Amino acid sequence: MTADLVEQLRVETEKCISCGFCESVCPTLSASDYVSIKGARGRVLLGRAAHNDIKDKGRTELKIADSFYSCLDCYACVHVCPAGVNAGKVSDIAKRVITSGNYTKKDQQKAVAKMIASAIMKHKNPLGLRKESADWAKSFDFDDDSSTLLYTGNMYQLMAYSKSLGNMKGVVGDKFTDIFAEFISKRPSLIKMAGSLYDFPTKESMESALKSIVGLLRKAGIKFRYLGEDEPYPGTFLYDLGYVDLFKKYSTEIFETFSSAGIKRVITIDPHTYDIMKNQYKEYVEGFDLEIIHYLDVLKDLKLKESDEEITFHEPCHFVLRDNDYNIPKNILSKAAKLKMPPRSGRSTMCCGGPNELLFAGIAERVSNERFAELKRTGAQKIITACPICFVNLAKDRSVVDIANFLAEKAV
Amino acid sequence: MSFSSEIRKVVGDHVLETREEIIPYLKDASYFVGDMPDMVVLPGTSKEVSEIVKLCYQNDVQITVRGGGTSLTGSSVLTGKGIIISLARLDHIYETSVEDKYVVAEPGVRLDVLNNHLLQFNHFYPPDPASSKSATVGGTISTNAGGLRAAMYGTTKDWVLGLEVVLPTGEIVQFGGKTLKKTLGYDLTALMIGAEGTLGIITKAILKIWPIPEITGRIQSYYTSIEDVGNAVSGLKREGVTPMIAEFMDKISLDSIRKTKGLKFPEDAEYMLLIDIASTVESLERNLQYAANILKKFNPITVNITTDKDEMAKMYEARKGAYASVLSERESADQYLVLGDIVVPASKLPSAMKQIKEKIKAYGGKVSLYGHIGDGNIHAHIFANTNNPEDMKKVDSLQMDLARIAIKHEGSVSGEHGIGLEKKELLKEEMKARNTMGTLEMMESIKKAFDPKNLLNRGKIF
Repeated sequence: MTADLVEQLRVETEKCISCGFCESVCPTLSASDYVSIKGARGRVLLGRAAHNDIKDKGRTELKIADSFYSCLDCYACVHVCPAGVNAGKVSDIAKRVITSGNYTKKDQQKAVAKMIASAIMKHKNPLGLRKESADWAKSFDFDDDSSTLLYTGNMYQLMAYSKSLGNMKGVVGDKFTDIFAEFISKRPSLIKMAGSLYDFPTKESMESALKSIVGLLRKAGIKFRYLGEDEPYPGTFLYDLGYVDLFKKYSTEIFETFSSAGIKRVITIDPHTYDIMKNQYKEYVEGFDLEIIHYLDVLKDLKLKESDEEITFHEPCHFVLRDNDYNIPKNILSKAAKLKMPPRSGRSTMCCGGPNELLFAGIAERVSNERFAELKRTGAQKIITACPICFVNLAKDRSVVDIANFLAEKAV
Repeated sequence: MSFSSEIRKVVGDHVLETREEIIPYLKDASYFVGDMPDMVVLPGTSKEVSEIVKLCYQNDVQITVRGGGTSLTGSSVLTGKGIIISLARLDHIYETSVEDKYVVAEPGVRLDVLNNHLLQFNHFYPPDPASSKSATVGGTISTNAGGLRAAMYGTTKDWVLGLEVVLPTGEIVQFGGKTLKKTLGYDLTALMIGAEGTLGIITKAILKIWPIPEITGRIQSYYTSIEDVGNAVSGLKREGVTPMIAEFMDKISLDSIRKTKGLKFPEDAEYMLLIDIASTVESLERNLQYAANILKKFNPITVNITTDKDEMAKMYEARKGAYASVLSERESADQYLVLGDIVVPASKLPSAMKQIKEKIKAYGGKVSLYGHIGDGNIHAHIFANTNNPEDMKKVDSLQMDLARIAIKHEGSVSGEHGIGLEKKELLKEEMKARNTMGTLEMMESIKKAFDPKNLLNRGKIF
C-alpha cells in the first residue's frame, strides 16, 4: 500500500512541465507572500524531488510538511493544468507519505493533525463534542422510523468551537499549540474540554442555519430522522490530513452504523460531507450503497418570494472544483433575487481559506480577506455561503448569510 | 555581518535558504535545471531591489532575476554560484489612464491579471504569450514576448512606453515615460526589451493599452498538407486580411488537446488553422465569410465558422496550454520537450514549412509543430531524453537545420522565446549568416557598459 504511494507521487508529478498555470490560481501562493513551495507548482516540483530522494535513498530529508499541509485542497489548480497534473492530488499523496512514517527521515506529522485524527477515532468527532453537536435539535421531533437520514456530520456545529480554538491558537502561539496538541493526541479523552470554548455568535448563526434546513425540508414534504447525540462525524479530516488507512476503517464503521439502523438515503447539508460521502466513501467502503444527496437537491421546486435584492454567491470548492459540478444552489438563488456572481466563480471559484485555520491561520486569513473583498466588490447587498467553513471564514460583516437562512426567509 | 544577514536586514523574512524552499526555483518551463542558489530573495519594493543589488555589487554576487518562471530557454534559472531575486511580490497595478492609453504595473503582475484589471476600462494589453496565465509583465518584457495576438498587434516591444530599472550598481533609473512620443537620445527602454535580465532589473513598467475590439469571430479550417496551410495564411495576407490571431497546430498537438481537454477535431485532419477576426458587430459576418472563402481555395478538409464565446474560449485555452498538453504524447517517461522558435516572413511560409517538414522527416524522431503562423512564428517541439547526450546532439543538429531554414527565408532563429541558455549557438549562426558578427560584439560592449562585473543573469544570451 505505502510503496504504491511513492509510485503515485511519481506518476502525478512527472507530467508537470512547470508552466506555472496552477500557481496562478493557487490561493495559498500569494497568501504566503509567494513562497513557491506554498503554491501549487512548488508543491508538484517538491513532490517530484521528494520522490526522487525516496527512490534513490529510501527516505527523503526534505521537510515537506508545511508545503503540503498548507494546501487548501480546493483543486483550483486541476482545472487550469494543460498537462492534466492534479497538484491537489500531489498534496493528498504527499500527506499520506508523511503519515505513513516510512519515507521521511524524521516524523513530519503535524501535531494538530494527529490530535484531530486521534479524537475522531476515539469520539467519532474531531473535538469529542457529539453531545454538544446535538443541542440545536432539542426542540424538534424527527421521524425515527424513516430510512432517510438528515446527516449534519457535526460540521455546522463544530464551527463555533474551531473558531474559538483558532483564536486561542493566535494568543498562545504555534509552539505551545503544538505541545498541547501532541499531549492531547496521546490522551484524546481530554479534547472534550473544548466543549467549554465556543464563539457564541457563531454558535447562534450555525444553529439557526441548521433549524432553517429542517424547516425547508419539512416545507418540501420530506420525512427524515436525525441521530442526535449518536450522529458521528463523517471522517473528512482523516482523509484530508492523510490518514487514509484510518479513514478506510472509520468510514466502514460509519457505513455499518447507518446500514444497521436501516438507513437507505442520506441527506447531507454541507459540501465537505456531501463530497466525501458521494465520492470517497464509494471508493473506500466495500459495498457502499447508500443514496447520498444534498438537501438543496430536494428544494429545487421550493416556492420562493421574488425580489430585486442583489446577492452574490460564494460557490464552495467541494461543489464546483472537486469531482462535483453542483449548480443547484446557484439556480435556486437566482429564483429569489438578482444574482451577481463574482469574477471568480464556477470552475474558477476561489477558496474561502478553510479548512486550514488551525494549521496555517495566517494563510487562511489572507485567503479569506482576498475572497471577501472580491465578493464585496460585486456591490451585492448579501453574500450567500453554502458551507459552514466558508461562512465562518467570510463572515467579516453582517452581509454574509448562510443559504439555508436566506431561503428560509424567502420561502413561501 | 554575513551576506545573508545583510540581505535579511533589507527584506526581513522574505529570504529562502533551505533546500526544500529553493527546489522550485531550479526550474522554469524549459528543460534546463539550474544550479542551487545560495538563497532566493523576494523583495517587495524597488528600493529593496536596489538595496539587494547594491549588496551583491559590493560582494561580487551573481544575480538571476525571476518573474513567472515561464522561460522556455532557461533564462530564469541560475548557472554557477549566486542568488535568485524573485519579483513575485512586486505585483501591484498602480495607475490606469484610458485617456492617455497606459497602465503602470510592477514586474510581478501576471498578464492575465493585468488584462482582467483592464477589462473594467474596456481596454487590454495586447501582448499575449501562451503562458499569459502565469507569465509576468517583467518576464515578458525581458524576453520580448509575442504570442497569439502578435499577428495584429506585434510583440511586447510595441507596447512598452517606459520603465523603471535597477542597474547592476543598485542605482534606480527611469527610461521612457507616459507619452507615445519621446525623443531623448538613445532609446534605453527599447534596449531593456528582450535583454533577458542581463542589463538591469525592471521594477516598474508603463505599458500602452488599447480598446478591446468590439467583437471577434473564429474560423477553424483543417488540412492534410502543410504547404496548403502555409499557402492559406499567405493567401489571407495577400488578400488584405489581418487576423487578430492566426495559429496552426499539427496532428500531434491536436491529439494531445483531444486527450487532455476533450475537444473534438476531424479524425483525418493533419493540421488545423485557427483564425480570429476582430471586427465591428455589423461587419463581422461579412469579414468572416470573406476570410473563409480565401481559406477554401487551399484544399481544406473543412472550414468552420463560429462566434460562440464558450466554444471559442475553450479552444483558445487549449491552444494556450498546448505546450504542456503535447507532453502527454511522449513515447516514454524520460522524454521531455525541446522547443524551437523560428520565424519567417509570412510570404515565405509555404516554402519554409515544406523544408521544415522535410528536415523533421530526415531527423526521424517525434516532433510536434504548431505556432503563431500569422506572424510566421513556428514552434517545433522536439521530444527527446534531455539527459541523454546522444539524443541532445541530434536535437541540436535539428534545431540548427531549422534555424538555417529560417535564416535562408530572411527570418530569425528566435521569434519570441529569447536566447537564454538554449539558443546561443543559433544566435551566432544567424549573425554569421547575415555577416554581422559586429552586432554581437556591440551587444557584448553594451553588456559590459551596463554590467562591468557581469553579475546580472550571467551566461544568458552570450
